[in-house]
Amino acid sequence: MIRVTDVSKRYGEHLAVDRVSFTVSPGEVVGFLGPNGAGKSTILRILATSLAPSSGTAEVAGFDVTRAPLEARARCGYLPEHNPLFESMRVAEWLDFAAAVHGVNGARRRERRDFVVDRCALAEVLGKPIRACSKGFRQRIGLAAAILHDPPVLLLDEPTHGLDPLQVVAFRDLVRELRPGRAILLSSHVVAEVAESSDRILAIQRGRLVLDRSLSELRAAAEGSIEAQVLAAVRAGAPA
Amino acid sequence: MSSAGPSPTALRARGLAGFRAVFAREFAAAFDAPIAYVAIGATLVATTSWFLNEFFLTGKLDLAPFLALLPWALAVLAPALGMRLWSEDYRTRTFELWRTLPLSASQVVLGKYAAALAVLVLFLFGSLPLVALLEWLGDPDRGAIAAGYLGALLLGAEFLAIAAFVSSRTADQITAFLLSALAATVLLGLGDPRVVAIVDGLAPALAPGTFLAATFSPAAWFAEFVRGHVPLAGIVHMAGVAAVFLFLNARSVVEERS
Repeated sequence: MIRVTDVSKRYGEHLAVDRVSFTVSPGEVVGFLGPNGAGKSTILRILATSLAPSSGTAEVAGFDVTRAPLEARARCGYLPEHNPLFESMRVAEWLDFAAAVHGVNGARRRERRDFVVDRCALAEVLGKPIRACSKGFRQRIGLAAAILHDPPVLLLDEPTHGLDPLQVVAFRDLVRELRPGRAILLSSHVVAEVAESSDRILAIQRGRLVLDRSLSELRAAAEGSIEAQVLAAVRAGAPA
Repeated sequence: MSSAGPSPTALRARGLAGFRAVFAREFAAAFDAPIAYVAIGATLVATTSWFLNEFFLTGKLDLAPFLALLPWALAVLAPALGMRLWSEDYRTRTFELWRTLPLSASQVVLGKYAAALAVLVLFLFGSLPLVALLEWLGDPDRGAIAAGYLGALLLGAEFLAIAAFVSSRTADQITAFLLSALAATVLLGLGDPRVVAIVDGLAPALAPGTFLAATFSPAAWFAEFVRGHVPLAGIVHMAGVAAVFLFLNARSVVEERS
């Protein structure tokens, strides 16, 4: 479960996130849409404990990200927007490191590593230094590390960035496989991409939540296509 | 799926495992770039060649001239090893990984620091052939040698903690190196008798040079180690300064979240 309640984030005079509230339940995939600089990544970084909110509360799997950041991190898989990786490590070393810091050891480590290597198609690069991997592989390496410890919450910031069309399809299949019992929040610029993978869509503009509707509601609405409705909400910039 | 997640007890028990994982990663990363090899190699060549020159001129079975040179060598080597500890993470954006993995600030700070300290210990090991040479030629004062190496380890630990903190405040490794080397040099310089005399001369009644040397400089304590003593106050001084800068380093890392 992800719970965001009245969260604001201020950088000096600039209000990057303005009293945003939403929840993501276990078994639910929520797509997070909005233009560049709207505040999507800021909210994901707050949930991942990389940033502290200026006000409001955010919870990951029942743990407040400010008061219990280590517990929240242990239950969260996070793929950051720029997907930073330790370039000098080999892919297998990076996965082992991620497993070790999450306390995934012994037989379970082997089992989980085999799972992510298979689902993210990493077998051919396991022995390679990360710096020698292509952008598509790097994105899958980041995703593999995010799901390696089988977390109940997944935060994926632009997860399909750099993937080719076949890899995008494989990613959607993986999200479907991971969905049961897990709260997944994924951000993207691409409405069609989010609509393919999500049960619900949130849209944010200038730090304010301007849309929070299920995909079935959006499909049934008479106001036009999903894309048109999202764009209308973003342009209007009105609170949801 | 681990929906319940680890218990608080399990998280605490994971503390040492997290430290070990950070240590192993950072120790390997130190040797990924040539800087560690170059810094250790150049420092060893410079210090041992200087010592051997003195040794063959005087013919004394005494490691003290080498040990006395170490503070200035460490004032360069420790910043060279510590400059990348955080600056590199800022540059490559991997700092965000440290903030989002289930590792406390103290685990990451201590793991990184211990890895750099281990590299510095390799430098000290690299000078052991000099001890072997003295042992082969005669009967040097082993107690004084051991005390000197302990002093060098403590002094290196102090300078490395300063370098780690400075590195946590800048994304530029060169800036981190220069500021750390300057800080180490100033700390050593404050203990130089000539500097003490000059500064004392500015206000003879207050003797500020003597005060600054006694309060901040590790030079006098290190000289005690080289003479074969192991002053407890010296250990507390150098370890204490290292602890203060490691604490500031952890604070610096936590503040980056806000």
